[in-house]
Amino acid sequence: MREFARQILAVLLTVTVAVGVSGALWVLANLLVNRMRDSSVRATYVSRALTGFVVASVLSGNRLTQYATAAAGASFVRSLVQWIWLPLIVAVAVGAFTFVAERLKRRERRIIAEVLLIGTVGGVLGALLVDTARPNIVAGEVALIATLSTLLFGTVGAIAHRGVRTLAVLRMALLGAVAGLVLGAWGVGDLGASSARSSIVLGAIIGCLVGTRWALVPAVSREHRVAREHRARTAVFLAPALGFIAIALVIPSLRTIYLSLLDRKGSTFVGIDNYASIFRDPKAWDMSRFGSLWTSRLTVAAGVCFLVFVLLAVRSRRRSGHFVEYGSASAPLLVLAVMFAGFAVFSTLRGTLVNNLWWVFVVTALSTGLGLLIAVLADGVRFERTAKAIIFMPLAVSMVGASVIFRLVYISRDASKPQSGTLNALWVGLGSLSTGDGFARLVVGVLVLVPTALALLAVTRSLVRRQWTKIALPAAVAGGGIWFSLRYWQLIGTGLGGQRVGKSGEIIADPINFLQEPPFNNFWLMLVLVWIQTGFAMVIFSAAIRAVPRELTEAAAIDGADTQQIFWRVTMPQIGPTIGVVATTIMVLVMKVFDIVKVMTNGNFGTEVLSNNMYREAFYNLDIGLGAALAVLIFVSVLPIMYINIRRMNRTT
Amino acid sequence: MTAHTQVRNTEAGPITWLYGRLRRLPVAGLWLIVVVWSLPTVSLFINSWRSRDDQRGSGWWTVQPGELTLDNYRQIFETNVNTNLGKSLLNSIAISIPATIIPISIAAFAAYAFAWMNFKGRKALFIATVSLLALPLQVALIPLLQLYVGGAHVTISWIDKTITLFPDLNLVNTTTAVWLTHTGFALPFAIFLIHNYIAGLPGEIFESARVDGADHFTIFWRLVVPLSIPVLAAFAIFQFLWTWNDYLIANTMAGTNPNALPTTILIANLAGDFGTNEHLLPAAAFIQTTAPLAVFFSMQRYFVRGLIAGAVKG
Repeated sequence: MREFARQILAVLLTVTVAVGVSGALWVLANLLVNRMRDSSVRATYVSRALTGFVVASVLSGNRLTQYATAAAGASFVRSLVQWIWLPLIVAVAVGAFTFVAERLKRRERRIIAEVLLIGTVGGVLGALLVDTARPNIVAGEVALIATLSTLLFGTVGAIAHRGVRTLAVLRMALLGAVAGLVLGAWGVGDLGASSARSSIVLGAIIGCLVGTRWALVPAVSREHRVAREHRARTAVFLAPALGFIAIALVIPSLRTIYLSLLDRKGSTFVGIDNYASIFRDPKAWDMSRFGSLWTSRLTVAAGVCFLVFVLLAVRSRRRSGHFVEYGSASAPLLVLAVMFAGFAVFSTLRGTLVNNLWWVFVVTALSTGLGLLIAVLADGVRFERTAKAIIFMPLAVSMVGASVIFRLVYISRDASKPQSGTLNALWVGLGSLSTGDGFARLVVGVLVLVPTALALLAVTRSLVRRQWTKIALPAAVAGGGIWFSLRYWQLIGTGLGGQRVGKSGEIIADPINFLQEPPFNNFWLMLVLVWIQTGFAMVIFSAAIRAVPRELTEAAAIDGADTQQIFWRVTMPQIGPTIGVVATTIMVLVMKVFDIVKVMTNGNFGTEVLSNNMYREAFYNLDIGLGAALAVLIFVSVLPIMYINIRRMNRTT
Repeated sequence: MTAHTQVRNTEAGPITWLYGRLRRLPVAGLWLIVVVWSLPTVSLFINSWRSRDDQRGSGWWTVQPGELTLDNYRQIFETNVNTNLGKSLLNSIAISIPATIIPISIAAFAAYAFAWMNFKGRKALFIATVSLLALPLQVALIPLLQLYVGGAHVTISWIDKTITLFPDLNLVNTTTAVWLTHTGFALPFAIFLIHNYIAGLPGEIFESARVDGADHFTIFWRLVVPLSIPVLAAFAIFQFLWTWNDYLIANTMAGTNPNALPTTILIANLAGDFGTNEHLLPAAAFIQTTAPLAVFFSMQRYFVRGLIAGAVKG
């Protein structure tokens, strides 16, 4: 128990320190910027002291690395103290000397004082640094880097100021010289690593240059000060975010692209070999079973749907001028035809890439469609909030948790034992009902027949009244009911559900191993994500439906439109763009789906997806090149969506 | 009143009555969906109270009040490193809290700058930042892990020297690495969400504040932060749920250190060792889910508002 309390304290302490330190730094930066405007001179001391601090800590920089690496033995605080005392002294010295130098009225004196004083600081800094055992400093290289960056910054200054003001160019060149020297001294060899003399000289040179640079600052006008404050403020507000984004997102992404062109250890350049091996691998893209597409039942279903669609579309065209519209009788059939065709194609192809596309297709379509359906159904119903909260709740459940939850749904046990998984219990139970006899069988059969009959009634009614748009839903219900009944009462086939006839004519339970029977185990995995994402779609659509201007629907109602017409002709066109937003959001999410596959099948039984493949290659097989190439593939696959998003944002902002 | 009744009476017939019932069918469908949606969670909850043998031998719907037991919950808090949920709950907290608070503040500064400060290239920078929203985090994982493992170094071959750009801070396999990564990945969305809200605040109040001599820092601190509490809360909920539920980043950055595992990895590992600890899964998953569900139900309104602001206005 005490151990536990100690751990909690440690966690809280870490959190407080992390949040507190970063917050304090930011507030301090802002206060400094405030000073810049109100009392410019004092702000100068502080900013110069800070510069001194930064330069000194960079010059002793590699030592920071050393201490942090050796942190296993030494305490963090001690190494921090060891590192920070020098920069602190330099900062105080620089601040104080600037204070002294700025007192001088005559400009020439000031320049001389600053150069001398800051140069001295630099020299002392160099001397103090002589205590590390580091590779010898290479003066030539430092000089080379310094010269190069002097030229570079000088040119930049010349271009920036159109070459008019020599002073400005000189200032930029000095800045470049300092940067070059510091970088050179830090990177090429630690300053203070060789003889005391060269350290002091180099430190003094840096100091003199910094001093000259500061002394050349002209008297500041008010506008200049305001502009400077504004620039500094913008930087203070933006820098943390942009810095984090650069370090955590932009640079790593670019590096991944680079790594994807290297071999498995990330050392030799191999060109596009990694990509080629992905596309050549039959595990990624296997078309060998494509021939069975034409005999698949799904293809037949798609074909039938498409035929009926064509018939209805021609009719619709004659009536309204369009083959398909929101809510026309032809629309659901087209959707069905596309769904069936998609399933037919994806279930004959195999491989990682195919699975990913299948995921995108199914999860996007089902989540968006179901979300819209539920949003419409729940609009204005009693207990609307409860219903929505329950649909919405899975969004708060982790994908790992959802996978555990759905294991309980999908478990399959040996046929001889009772099923403990929900779906298999239902499936096998249905099978024993359908093939057995008795009261329960009758009850279930009649329970299905009643809504079927009612739906048939509705279809007849719509047919008589010639209300074509109202046929779709009842017809679907009736059709489903009739099919179910035909199979259930064994009028076609040997009954419905998880059962089969054994050798000696006895009936055996036949559970489905949902997670291990390809290709449709993919589909059962997708349902987990549908379970999670439908709530998201529903919430967005609910809001979009609410946001449709009341005047529009009321005007339509006054013009004599019924509820369905209002929905299809007024509401749907209004929420059209929202459907696009929801679909693209879900697509991005699905493209990188990982947790569910990893936890439920780990990509076995033909359920591999790009993201899991990438994880396996990069972090288990330690093939960095191939892993990076797979990551780039995921990236490329969301590029179109990124483009769409950017275009949309460009329009709205 | 009477006339109305009469009109209805003339139309009323068995068919019309039936049809009236039929129109209720969609609502019944809705509740059917609701039941289907909640069943998986219910089954998890029930199974978490059943013993190992009961869970294996029969389905959750056969539960008897007598067979309920607390054993699973007791077992997952016992001090076995591989199944101890207490430690991993702490790790989850140590990841989620900084990964929620730090990005909020950083993103709020940037969002304010993008919304109310004038500088060159503002729009381009904003769009570039926000376009990273769709960037799959897998793209950044390998280099980030390399950064945490050994720092970043550039070797310049013609002078045969290695320059350290980023020191090796020995971050790999710590919760710090996990929340640092989360912070970076969360920023584009956070900036986008908070910017949408802040940009919609009335500009007049800022103008009058500026006339009174307030600078950006004061305006941000005294006006913008109090006014944008709803969106900050919305993002906080999002980010908390996301970091608490994350598996990929945690597994990559801290997956091999048993002392730094958050709950999701613990559960995934339990699910991986088929058989031995399977009966603990429902209880562990249920506890893991409790925190996000509590946050979610107590602050649902903010959450929904954030979701809508993120999607509809985009």
